[in-house]
Amino acid sequence: MNAILLIARREIGVRGRTKGFRYGMLVTVALVVVLAALPKILGGGDDYTVGLAGQRADRLQAALAAQDAQADDLTVKVKKYAGTAAARKAVAAGEVEAAIVDDTTVISKTTVGSGLSVLLDTAHRIAATEANLAAAGLDPAKVAQAQQVAPLTEQALEGSGEQAAIRQGIALVIVVVLFMLLIQICTWVAMGVVEEKGSRIVEILLTSVRPWQLLAGKIIGLGVLGLSQLIAIAVTGLVAAQVSGSIPELPDGTYALMARVVLWFVLGYAFYGAMFAAIASLVSRQEDVSGVLTPATMTMMVGYLVGFLAVREPDGALAHVLSIVPPFSAMVMPVRSAVSDVPLWETGLAIGLMVLAAAGILALGGTVYRRAVLRTGARVRWREVLRAAS
Amino acid sequence: MLEIDGLRKRYGDLVALDGAGFTVRPGEMFGFVGANGAGKTTTMRIVMGVLEADGGAVRWQGEPVGFATRRRFGYMPEERGLYAKMRVAEQIEYFGRLAGMSPAEARSSADELIERLTLTERRDDEVAGLSLGNQQRVQLAVALVHRPELLVLDEPFSGLDPIAVDALAGVLAERTAAGVPVVFSSHQLDLVERLCDSIGIIKAGRMVAGGTVAELRARESRKLLHIVVTGAAPGWTDRLPGEIVSKTDRPPAGESAETARYDEVVLVPSDDQEALRVAGQAGQVQHFGWQRPSLTEIFREVVA
Repeated sequence: MNAILLIARREIGVRGRTKGFRYGMLVTVALVVVLAALPKILGGGDDYTVGLAGQRADRLQAALAAQDAQADDLTVKVKKYAGTAAARKAVAAGEVEAAIVDDTTVISKTTVGSGLSVLLDTAHRIAATEANLAAAGLDPAKVAQAQQVAPLTEQALEGSGEQAAIRQGIALVIVVVLFMLLIQICTWVAMGVVEEKGSRIVEILLTSVRPWQLLAGKIIGLGVLGLSQLIAIAVTGLVAAQVSGSIPELPDGTYALMARVVLWFVLGYAFYGAMFAAIASLVSRQEDVSGVLTPATMTMMVGYLVGFLAVREPDGALAHVLSIVPPFSAMVMPVRSAVSDVPLWETGLAIGLMVLAAAGILALGGTVYRRAVLRTGARVRWREVLRAAS
Repeated sequence: MLEIDGLRKRYGDLVALDGAGFTVRPGEMFGFVGANGAGKTTTMRIVMGVLEADGGAVRWQGEPVGFATRRRFGYMPEERGLYAKMRVAEQIEYFGRLAGMSPAEARSSADELIERLTLTERRDDEVAGLSLGNQQRVQLAVALVHRPELLVLDEPFSGLDPIAVDALAGVLAERTAAGVPVVFSSHQLDLVERLCDSIGIIKAGRMVAGGTVAELRARESRKLLHIVVTGAAPGWTDRLPGEIVSKTDRPPAGESAETARYDEVVLVPSDDQEALRVAGQAGQVQHFGWQRPSLTEIFREVVA
């Protein structure tokens, strides 16, 4: 046990201090922050500053304030100007985004954004209707009262549209991050195995530790690095999305979802890590690694692509089946769980099968590794290492 | 005591070891020599458990060698293996810890070796940036850090300059003085001759000669007579009984001032006393004696 810890610690220490890892981590975190805040940045924010000039300025202000009060994610600031000229100047100077002058005209630099346009139009209608009704002799107080209309309450048959979009966004991020992390960490495992085999360090190591200890230490160490990256990405992403206001309220069950993603990462990594390590132990040179790994990488790609499809069609036949079949389930099931309600038995079955598959591949990979890692020189054939214990 | 007994190993049709074996006593420096492909590396890899033998046995203190025993051996493989991205001190310590040392033990042992192998200025450098000689020193430190009971070193001196050779040899001598047997292979036979207490020569997977340097010599030196005669008439060497291995009439540089004729002969005599008489009749005998063959000569003879 002690040996495994030592080996894991070395992997973390040596890999963790490389520039590649540190900068990679920084860039990833920065990228996640930008991505999470992007909708808000691109949307320009639902904060508006509006200029008013004209007789109905007060009424317009009241109407804007009422809309502000009804919506959570909307703030409208109002600046009043003495006349059209002053308002025009304020728009030109960028003090306000748009201004209503003479109760009839909107002034803006270029076009008025659709969100703001609706806002101003509504305010204008309310103020104008009031004025018209008052002119027709109705009691202004009653008119004002009549204008108090509660907004429509939303009742969506398949969850709210906004929530569905957010869920899809999260699912997309999950599948991309899972794939990138898995392929990165598993490649590190493979390269580490070949580094040790090719340089014959393994001959010294194996006089002190058992092959399975060496393999376990390597897989655990690099796995811890991968997991820490995953958690850093998840935490940064969720915090950034909330702070920036892109996702003001996380969909229900987001934290449970994150826990599941971590579980799937661990399972997927156990499977692919052992697979990559076993395959890499067949060759002695770094330049041969990517060649022998192609089938394993392709398997991972299939999971990734189907996971990608499942973002939009979580219950399509292919996504449905592959979300249960290991090892594809590692990337498809978390996506399905993110965008739709997966029956508990399906999740349980998928996890159970994946645990079995991972355990199987760990045992098989360990055997292949043990038999192949000391056989330097030409590529070791599958048939030689898989032949029954000799 | 390390006993290697009747090792056999085949790679397909190729017989790598065909009953090779030898014994190394406590505190003995054993030089393992042989042509390329003779089976040295295969033997050492079997001793270290890196390779499995088809037959034969390796015993340490009379017991078959297993994993637990091998953890107490120090090993330097044929092709150098170090983590390029690890620092010198860190790397030596790491291998000490893997072999079961406590952090403090590993650190103090690593520090000691770093100092002893004059790596102090390089202790925090990555191994990838070191010269070949320094990498080799680190490699030796890795083999020594856990204070092994036996050292198995495959070509530890190859590619080293004389100063590095001395540093390495000094450290090895310390270990043998402490009773640790050392087995090392080398093609530098002058070095083996100088350092080793005993030598084994392997050829095509079989031991063809073995023993102390003196024993090997004693066995071989009966054969060669080295005779130097001056002032003899040409053609006298034809009367020498036996087979002439080499002869020259050119005196060694620095002794050319002599005006008299010079003859130097190396002879495998059929009758040494007759040879002495022939030389004495021919001229003035300057030198007459059994030649001590160098290890290189013994090696050539044995392996030929």
